[in-house]
Amino acid sequence: MEAWLFVSPSAIGFLIFFLGPLCAVVYFSMTEWNLLTQQAAFVGLANFKNALLENPDFWHVVRNSVIFALGLVPLNMALALTLALALSRPFFGVVFFRTVFFAPVVTSAIAWAIVWKFLLQGEGGFINQMLAIVGISGPNWLREPNWAMAAVIVTRVIKMVGLNMILYIAALQAIPRDYEAAARLEGASRWQIFRMIIWPLLAPTTLIIMVITTIGSFKVFDHIYQMTGGGPENGTLVLAFYIYQQGFKFFNIGYASALAMIMFVIVMMLTIVQVMLRRKGAE
Amino acid sequence: MTQRQIRILYRTCWTIALLIVAIPFMFPFVWMVSAGFKSTTEIFGAPTLIPRVWRWQNFIEVFTYQPFARQYFNSLYIAILVTVLTLIISSLAGYALARMRFAGAGLLMLFLISALMVPEEVTIIPNFFLIRSMGLVDTHWPLILLPVFGPQGVMATFLMRQYFLALPKELEDAGKMDGLSRFGVWWRIALPMSRPAIAAVAIITFLSSWNLFLEPLIFLSSLEMFTLPLALSNFNDSYGLPLWNLQLAATTLAVVPILIVYLIAQRQIIESFALSGVKG
Amino acid sequence: MTNVFLKGIEKRFGSVEVIRGVDLQIDDGEFVVFVGPSGCGKSTLLRLISGLEHISAGDIYIGDRLVNEVQPAQRGVAMVFQSYALYPHLTVRDNMGFGLKVRKVPPAERQRRIGEAAATLKLDALLDRYPRELSGGQRQRVAIGRAIVGHPDVFLFDEPLSNLDAELRVHMRSEIAALHKRLATTMIYVTHDQIEAMTLADKIVVLRDGRVEQVGSPRTLYENPANIFVAQFIGSPKMNVLPADAAPLLAALPATPPSAESVGVRPEHLTVVSPGEGVLRGEVTLCEYTGAVTLLHVALDGGHDCLVIYDEREMPGVGSVIGLRAEGQNLHFFNQHGQAILASAHST
Ligand SMILES: Nc1ncnc2c1ncn2[C@@H]1O[C@H](COP(=O)(O)OP(=O)(O)O)[C@@H](O)[C@H]1O
Ligand SMILES: [Mg+2]
Repeated sequence: MEAWLFVSPSAIGFLIFFLGPLCAVVYFSMTEWNLLTQQAAFVGLANFKNALLENPDFWHVVRNSVIFALGLVPLNMALALTLALALSRPFFGVVFFRTVFFAPVVTSAIAWAIVWKFLLQGEGGFINQMLAIVGISGPNWLREPNWAMAAVIVTRVIKMVGLNMILYIAALQAIPRDYEAAARLEGASRWQIFRMIIWPLLAPTTLIIMVITTIGSFKVFDHIYQMTGGGPENGTLVLAFYIYQQGFKFFNIGYASALAMIMFVIVMMLTIVQVMLRRKGAE
Repeated sequence: MTQRQIRILYRTCWTIALLIVAIPFMFPFVWMVSAGFKSTTEIFGAPTLIPRVWRWQNFIEVFTYQPFARQYFNSLYIAILVTVLTLIISSLAGYALARMRFAGAGLLMLFLISALMVPEEVTIIPNFFLIRSMGLVDTHWPLILLPVFGPQGVMATFLMRQYFLALPKELEDAGKMDGLSRFGVWWRIALPMSRPAIAAVAIITFLSSWNLFLEPLIFLSSLEMFTLPLALSNFNDSYGLPLWNLQLAATTLAVVPILIVYLIAQRQIIESFALSGVKG
Repeated sequence: MTNVFLKGIEKRFGSVEVIRGVDLQIDDGEFVVFVGPSGCGKSTLLRLISGLEHISAGDIYIGDRLVNEVQPAQRGVAMVFQSYALYPHLTVRDNMGFGLKVRKVPPAERQRRIGEAAATLKLDALLDRYPRELSGGQRQRVAIGRAIVGHPDVFLFDEPLSNLDAELRVHMRSEIAALHKRLATTMIYVTHDQIEAMTLADKIVVLRDGRVEQVGSPRTLYENPANIFVAQFIGSPKMNVLPADAAPLLAALPATPPSAESVGVRPEHLTVVSPGEGVLRGEVTLCEYTGAVTLLHVALDGGHDCLVIYDEREMPGVGSVIGLRAEGQNLHFFNQHGQAILASAHST
């Protein structure tokens, strides 16, 4: 009973602000809201049917989200691992580089997006002015759907890669140095040591980072809100932003709730994959 | 070339490569500060790293265009409040989950784990109606309550629990022998020994509150109530186009203090994120 | 008067029975040692007495007061933990004073008691240090000091020396013995090291699987072990246990007790003789020279192995055949349940 005194603040808040809303969103997703009367009418699975079968926007959004994830996750992880390998051992300047690569992580996504939006302007943007010097005429980055998606992905990677880098560094530092010493005595090259010793030992970390990063990529909101607002031509309209737009701009509460449910299922599935992989890794 | 020279050459090449990679990480900050001092005409002219004319005026206009000081204060006090509340609530619950046996502990753990995984976008719609029915729209309450009891708070709880689990049990037994109650053991032994975990929770919670955007965007409507990220995204002219120099000056004011603290305590801050990441 | 009385103590963790009915009387001022193999429940029994664990059945009396429902801090006991359990965020002084502060002892009295304990334990110079700045032996002393300042009626020690190196362990052992002599307080001490038990105890309690195997003075346990388990647990190297029909070959006896299944004889009680008729014969398989004595491993004709402590200068070579003799009074007979047959100890 004493224990409940310790957990009750947490448990009560959690019931009110998480469990209750989670149940509510299930109900909301099966209703249609009348904005004038503020009444909800039960419509069964109509909102899901609308999303999955009728509304072309939905699949466009899913496509964007998948492209975003497919672009962001490999780029982020490859860069994180490369930086971690370079920075896992002490050398002159290592602290400087770690500090630099991690700095965007502590910066607000809005601030980061503001600055990059500024740098990426079509005319007079710094990036294009630099490109002009070497004779390249840069595109109007944030006004063309494909370039906008690429820009959002790359700037997001730069913003967040430090976090995965730190996780990789921690994992690398946990690998006993003796392994490498032994392999080197046996004549293994640097590449062989990485390929045959370090990479396999990093596998559990890689799996976890992959799933966390993927889930994170489905949740991206503020970055896109500030940089592109989902545009141009809905070219960067991803799931989290679509939910916000439907729910709080167009007040399609039922439809937005159905979208939230779909997001919930996607994230749940990714998490279950993560747990399963982790179990397998523990064996 | 000798072995030594080859090694030095190798090192140098690596360092140069890293410096090149570091440019897109550092440069935005530099450019942000620089552009924050420029006039509108200079911003769109030929790029200059050092402003030709230092327009200090920008940093005054930031405060007249919006109630920026008030917004700054909002962000600060909300972040502090959220951090303190999260620390208290998560360390209490984390301690119970680590050290006490009670009916429902397993169930609670399960629910908390699920809360950790569900993005806030999923529950934000019902939460909006909940907050509205409480009459708390356009107040700071949702910005405090939702993070404290949301995924962030749950993560803090798990971090504390993990840390408490690793503390030597005999120390707490010694506390009991010395006459402490359960609460006393938590307050006078477990907490003082958990400084790294407390620091990690404090740092991560503070930053995530400071950078919070979705909740302010949804719940706040009056300028005096805005927090920094919302205020930053709001520097537009009457056509909805960004007032770049003011926006960047404001962004500079919002980002630079955090960066300074980060540079001073970078080791501690990076370790905190590593601690929470390894666990999560 | 602080005696401790345990009556029918049982402890279960879930469905696992760890203490299965322990009855024990500990007198005022006595130094009692719980020994037994690792996992037999020594620590659990000590923690039950301290109140850190709740008993599943039975009664505990401390100084004639039933303490089943009394909080640990109110039982008048102090505990010295295996890991010392010093609070890392407090200085030595604050560590020692912490319990007094919690009990609201006035500061002046607190300082007096800390000073007193520090003087006793030669900790004066270390009072303002943090535990991490101390050596193992110093930490150990602080842990004891923390127990002393509360003026407890009973001291509880849970393997307090097991984290020290061998030399320091011997030293601290004698300090604890001296402390007991000076304070004359009841002390209960847990160890798995039978040498510690033998040297410190007024009374040893041998535990196995949550049950008391035998209670007695070190001498009683050594000379009259109640069963094979105690016989082999006390004494080092451990007692040889051979089939009972080896007894007549070892010593001239009027008769082997009829119910005897086996006979025990300690390695230090065997002497090497020439392998003639009517003596126990065996082949030396290994000689371990330790300096003072040599340990002979002997494979007996019957197929059993046997250890002998040999203190002559001349060593039998490996492979040589030797005879073994013992004195009748040093033979211990056990029945088929491994219980000692008491009569045999006195028949010669
Ligand atoms: N809190 C506990 N929960 C479950 N089992 C326990 C607990 N404490 C001790 N045990 C079990 O009780 C048995 C006795 O433990 P202990 O008293 O520590 O033995 P020892 O004689 O080595 O000190 C062991 O098998 C141990 O696993
Ligand atoms: Mg033990």
